[in-house]
Amino acid sequence: MEREPILPRKTQISYKTEEKTVLRGYNLSDLAEEGYSFCDALFVIFQSRIPTENEEKMLEYEMAEFLEHSMSPSAAAAISTMGGRPQLPAAIGAGIMTFGGAHGPGAAHGYMMNKYLERARVEGKTPKEMGKILVDEYMDAGRPVMGLGQPQHIHGDPRAVPTHKKHQELLGVGVYLELQLAIEEAFNGRRVAEGKRPLAVNMIGAGNTALAELGFSPNAAWAIGCICRGFSCACHATENMKRGRAWMASTQEKMIQMLDLSMIVYEGIPNRPVPSQDEREEYAKKELEKGEYKRWAL
Amino acid sequence: MGPVEREPFRWHSTVSYKTVDTIVTRGYNTTELVEKGYGLADVIFIDFQARIPLIKEAKMLNYLMILCLDEGLSAPAAISRIVAKGHTILTQSVGASVLAFGHAYGAFQAFGKMLDKYLSRAEKEKRSLVEMAEVLVKENKDSLTLGVSNLMVKDPAAKRVFARAESLEVAGKYIDFQKRVVKAAQKMGKGPVDLDMLGAMGATMFDLGFSPESTWSIVAITRAFGCGAHAIEEEEREPRTTFGQSLTPPKYYDGPPDRPVPPLKDRSKMAKAAQAKTLEEWRKKFEEMKKLKGSGYSIVEEIEDPRKLPKVKK
Repeated sequence: MEREPILPRKTQISYKTEEKTVLRGYNLSDLAEEGYSFCDALFVIFQSRIPTENEEKMLEYEMAEFLEHSMSPSAAAAISTMGGRPQLPAAIGAGIMTFGGAHGPGAAHGYMMNKYLERARVEGKTPKEMGKILVDEYMDAGRPVMGLGQPQHIHGDPRAVPTHKKHQELLGVGVYLELQLAIEEAFNGRRVAEGKRPLAVNMIGAGNTALAELGFSPNAAWAIGCICRGFSCACHATENMKRGRAWMASTQEKMIQMLDLSMIVYEGIPNRPVPSQDEREEYAKKELEKGEYKRWAL
Repeated sequence: MGPVEREPFRWHSTVSYKTVDTIVTRGYNTTELVEKGYGLADVIFIDFQARIPLIKEAKMLNYLMILCLDEGLSAPAAISRIVAKGHTILTQSVGASVLAFGHAYGAFQAFGKMLDKYLSRAEKEKRSLVEMAEVLVKENKDSLTLGVSNLMVKDPAAKRVFARAESLEVAGKYIDFQKRVVKAAQKMGKGPVDLDMLGAMGATMFDLGFSPESTWSIVAITRAFGCGAHAIEEEEREPRTTFGQSLTPPKYYDGPPDRPVPPLKDRSKMAKAAQAKTLEEWRKKFEEMKKLKGSGYSIVEEIEDPRKLPKVKK
């Protein structure tokens, strides 16, 4: 059997021989045998170090909490993909890939914190002072401040405040939490002064701050969060596969299905006859001249 | 909170709708379209641009799609084959191939935005296109998405795209500007460079009226057809890969040397927390972590600076 690497690459992460698999210098089997957890191993792979006991507990807490979030874009994508009955991994992949600029923007929040912490260092300000500056700059520009508010949990994400509390209990306050708490205070101070209701911290604000304080880079933190949600996407997709109907358009179900024809509202160009090939060129020229199509082009 | 009276969920779309008996895109019944002799390229125009193309435009798109179909064992085909080795179903292999398109490989979105930015600057700053092409090259000299490189110095295919666009009379402002960019890059460059496929296909697609995003999608999906063939060939003539089969010999590894796993009871003696209490300590740890590849610390993605953004009316 051919056992050469499919993709020859230099790597600092791991190697594998016929005798063992070694991760950042540690024999992977020895790590498991010794009683280290999966969360410990995540520290080893992304940071090349064994975490403190409290760090391991914090990551365990956060991953277990983040795993399931019922109907969010990730679960909806996984269920929707499964409706076509591909292999299960396609649905899981689709779920994980929904994470972006709006749904769980973990990396962007991390980069934002790093940028402002560096500014604080260079400008001789405290993270608390910089938190207010960050909020003013974003709000003055009319841009949302990442880490606050959630479209479904309008009274605050039930996971977020407990995550902050656990963070303080297990890790104490480091530069990231100091900055995040200052952001929350300044943000809601301004909102209340403007006569708006306060917005609670969301799981990016709370969870990503903890991941940053645990030493994970913005991208590593993002990978951990999104992939963790993959477990729940798999569960939702499997439920659809085993208990739901393919296509989700059946008219036999009691409840109107997601893809029932009555769910489609078309707001585009009204029905029009297709020109014959003889008329085509003249027709196409007129369309170009009129330019009405530009209103609809994507 | 009590129940709220709201409109029930609907899929809102300006692209298409369907009823029990018809499927309509941009107002046209799709069966009527094909019955009247319209083809794939025509329907791509209708879907993305809401218009029937001129015959010459459809011909040009067909030409480009043929060029996109295969590129040997480049990233999309390689990914497609690697996925196929796991004995997946075909859609996973071809779906994975689309994911290879980013802001370096097949960077049509980035390329289009760049051309738009400099064309708009030329207009605003009242500068000639020749001048602006030189500015573009100067400001993006290390960019992989210039549309000019040493990739096609010996292969005439890219230049033939522009020649075909000109002979079909579909060449417009983008091809014109890209030609000036090529000249500017040749004038300023050290080695031989010429128009490459990104530049040729991108500029031509934009002249056909496709947006950078539409171009990115159409090229990636067209490439996926070719990747389907690669995935099938992989299944037909190469062995499957099983879990745990591929080795990674130590010659490929340059991470920490082998070390014993410390006893769990000693964790508190040897483990150091990542948390930083001061900004200087934070920076020091950050710089140290940058040396560790695979940690993500040396990747810095620029986020928008709110101070430089146009104000949004509330």
